[in-house]
Amino acid sequence: MIKLKEINRAEALRYIGGSKVEMNENMDALLTSCEKEILEVAAVKYLYKKIPLNDSKLLIGNSIKEHLKGCGEAILICATIGNAVDKLIRTASVTDMSKAVVLDAMASTAVEQACGMLDEIISQENPDKFLTWRFSPGYGDYPIELQSKFLQILDAPRKIGLCTNENSILTPTKSVTAIMGLSDSPIEKRRKGCASCNLKKTCKFRKSGERCEF
Amino acid sequence: MNFSDLLKNDYIILDGAMGTMIQKSGLKLGEIPETLNLTHPEMIKDIHRGYVDVGTQIVCANTFGANGYKLKDSGYTVEEIIKAGIKNAKDAVGDKALVALDIGPIGQLLEPAGSMSFDTAYDYFKEEILAGADADVIFFETMTDLLEVKAGVLAARENSNKPILVSMTFEENMRTFAGVSVASAALTLEGLGVNALGVNCSLGPDELAPIVKEFTKWTNLPIIVKPNAGLPDPNSNTYNVKPKDFSESLSKIIDFGTVKLVGGCCGTTPEYIKALKEVVENKKYTIAEIKKDTSVCSGTTVVEINQPRVIGERINPTGKKLFKEALINNDIDYILSQAISQVNAGADILDVNVGLPEIDEKEMMVRVIKALQSVVDVPLQIDSTKPDVLEAALRIYNGKPIVNSVNGEEKSLNTVLPLVKKYGASVIGLVLDEDGIPKTAEGRFNIAKKIVDRAKAVGIPAKDVYIDCLTLTVSAQQEGCIETLKALHKVKTELGCKTCLGVSNISFGLPNRPLINHIFLTMALEEGLDLPIINPNDGDMMGAVRAYKVLSNIDKNSKDFISFYNEAKPETPKISCSHITLSDAIINGLKNEAATLTQKALENKDAMEIVNGELIPALDRVGADFEQNKIFLPQLIQSANVAQVCFEEIKKHLTKTNNTPVSKGKIILATVKGDIHDIGKNIVKVLLDNYGYTVVDLGRDVAPELIVETAIKQDIKLIGLSALMTTTLKSMEDTIALARKTPELQNPDGSSKCIFFVGGAVLTKDYAMKIGADYYCKDAKESVDTAKKVFGA
Repeated sequence: MIKLKEINRAEALRYIGGSKVEMNENMDALLTSCEKEILEVAAVKYLYKKIPLNDSKLLIGNSIKEHLKGCGEAILICATIGNAVDKLIRTASVTDMSKAVVLDAMASTAVEQACGMLDEIISQENPDKFLTWRFSPGYGDYPIELQSKFLQILDAPRKIGLCTNENSILTPTKSVTAIMGLSDSPIEKRRKGCASCNLKKTCKFRKSGERCEF
Repeated sequence: MNFSDLLKNDYIILDGAMGTMIQKSGLKLGEIPETLNLTHPEMIKDIHRGYVDVGTQIVCANTFGANGYKLKDSGYTVEEIIKAGIKNAKDAVGDKALVALDIGPIGQLLEPAGSMSFDTAYDYFKEEILAGADADVIFFETMTDLLEVKAGVLAARENSNKPILVSMTFEENMRTFAGVSVASAALTLEGLGVNALGVNCSLGPDELAPIVKEFTKWTNLPIIVKPNAGLPDPNSNTYNVKPKDFSESLSKIIDFGTVKLVGGCCGTTPEYIKALKEVVENKKYTIAEIKKDTSVCSGTTVVEINQPRVIGERINPTGKKLFKEALINNDIDYILSQAISQVNAGADILDVNVGLPEIDEKEMMVRVIKALQSVVDVPLQIDSTKPDVLEAALRIYNGKPIVNSVNGEEKSLNTVLPLVKKYGASVIGLVLDEDGIPKTAEGRFNIAKKIVDRAKAVGIPAKDVYIDCLTLTVSAQQEGCIETLKALHKVKTELGCKTCLGVSNISFGLPNRPLINHIFLTMALEEGLDLPIINPNDGDMMGAVRAYKVLSNIDKNSKDFISFYNEAKPETPKISCSHITLSDAIINGLKNEAATLTQKALENKDAMEIVNGELIPALDRVGADFEQNKIFLPQLIQSANVAQVCFEEIKKHLTKTNNTPVSKGKIILATVKGDIHDIGKNIVKVLLDNYGYTVVDLGRDVAPELIVETAIKQDIKLIGLSALMTTTLKSMEDTIALARKTPELQNPDGSSKCIFFVGGAVLTKDYAMKIGADYYCKDAKESVDTAKKVFGA
């Protein structure tokens, strides 16, 4: 059971302007009220499952092979903060777009935080293993179409109501699927970073000299 | 033996889990367990036999996931898998049990949460139902979205005549993943004419008890209960409730009454069903008493008509220039904002009327209902004079709506009532017929009685007919008001029907209309009015309803009244605006001040002068600040919203002085087919709106055809497309290609009339050019620059 208690503001702010912008009283109040609304309706649900690394259907492309180098098995995960959050953002999009963009940023941050907490759970359950960071379909050359495969293996549509549409978009939208490698020996630090990100050409953070946590 | 024979028993024993048994047999479940119907038929038959041997009376064939979406890469057809599944079950059970075509969710979410349309879902279900023609009953299980179930139930009713059983899956918070409440499920499914309904999966019997209890409060149909064998251990995947405890817990649930079909879901085996059979053998079936009044609902929210409930009347173009304009321009957001403001003001139900000669009412009604369902929770009242519009809306409505309306004319009774029955709605009955509106209360009562009788004759309960005794204008027929109220009283007391009234007609032609409306409303409430149809944004009208509820002892301890009026925000004091300029107001996000300043400016300045001299430069400055990381994105949007308020003031002024509203050009915006991320597109919209462009926002997941059609119909040359995913860039390309080759969108020399600007997180300038776009915009600000270039600043 994962319950979010707060949302990482600095993280959310990066989506809507970055750390260099000066905070004022109105923005601060908007952030506080949006955080409260998201926390009220967010319902974190997740699934994970250990799989042997012999299913070639899941190991497509070079990025994932590189990522899982040295790992004997892996854990598939998925997590969502639920439908109600999407509805909240949709409604705000009609009445107040400025609120909608803050809610959207907060929600994206929230699902990322939930995944972070799930990382903790998984690493506690595997005390003698070393874990890679979460690698998601769509990173590098790892096909985004695998999202539906992940969900199928995890039985996610039935167990937590997490589906994809025909274009591999997760629904509810504030959701994540990913794979983490498990290794018996320490994993060589393969830094996450811009090089393996598909958005490196268009990324606004990169242009303004910032970085996301990827 | 058939299903009605089984119903004569006190209880009907269902089976237990299929998946659990497959796993026990040592076989891997694989990705699609239904393929075992063909690869391992004997094993599947053994599982069915195991259940029938312990007393199961209806077995579910192994067809749960056998739909076209899940099977698309399986190498098998739906027909092959389902036919084999039913045959296995039939072979195994002989005449000892019935065989159910078992149908689970399709596996992707319906609009608005996902992008599968209602019709697509219907077609998937239809394919399963046709393939399962040899089954005895159709059993929808583990459903979480009420609208998806509705597509399934309609597909079943329209393509077979088998009994329909529906069971949904609820979480401990008494809702499904999609937010469906037990009451909404019960009301809606009963209305759709299913034969039994209930709950399966997700929880053990003890945790399901409160959910079943809630079901018994809302339906007298046989209730289905199929719990899991407790909760699973995430590592071993074993369940924690043993057969004996399982059956004892279910025994307690059966004592609530109305529960008739019992079995097990995940983790249960023949042992559980055997234990279950033993405990129900000596029990007598009872039906729990229902104390609920007539109710209507959305997928999430039930409104019980057990006290005055307000129907908001504002979604209606009659006499509303801006609303008409919104309909013609496809401005769905305007309609949604009208809905949200009524709900915030306290409306319990919203009337939806989009009838306008210039538009395709059916198409618009469907779009508006879908859009409303994506943002508001209140039940809707579908308002049209055209039966085909009513039916189109009734099909895709998620819940139990009200149909507005039927009247005493034969033609109306014969066309509207069957629709109300088929889709399980409530209906407003207007007391008029071929001879018009009777003058006397007696005459109106007689028509009301006729409507109720005719409704009953087609199977609509009298309690679901809400009679409107019709408000006449008191300045034209002064004696009419008393007759309306008399008729209302008589209908309420003698027919036992709920009543509704459109209130504000009463005061046409008189000064101080609000006063007359408000007193008339109070008089009508006292005569027993249940459903006033009013403008909820009118504080006095809502106040009258709130006060009435206090004085007639409905609002206990005046709780709602006190909380509303004590917590009501004081009106924002009017600030003197002498010290700030319009430009300051925009830059600092001050809406009220900006409105006042715009009004003042309009007294002595030309509208375009204000737009070009003050609004646009202020917006430009904010835009520049944003680019230089001086302000956050929400601040940019806030300024744009303030500018919007200024534009509204200017629009109002021009409409009053009969000038054409100011527009610098029309632009279509859409998030492309298959993509449901629309936040970026919405930001672009706000900015374009507030630079004075008219934006026709087609929403998200928009088909190329609709974009092209809109461009032709409204003669629009600039089109903005957004796509957030690499997987949906293809739709962007398709849309541009379709427009380029459409003859109506070509100039005489064969060149394209359309100019496309595109954007979205994964898009690059190179790619934009490659797919044939004219402009690539990296953000909302650049979209404005593009519009300026195209239309000339």
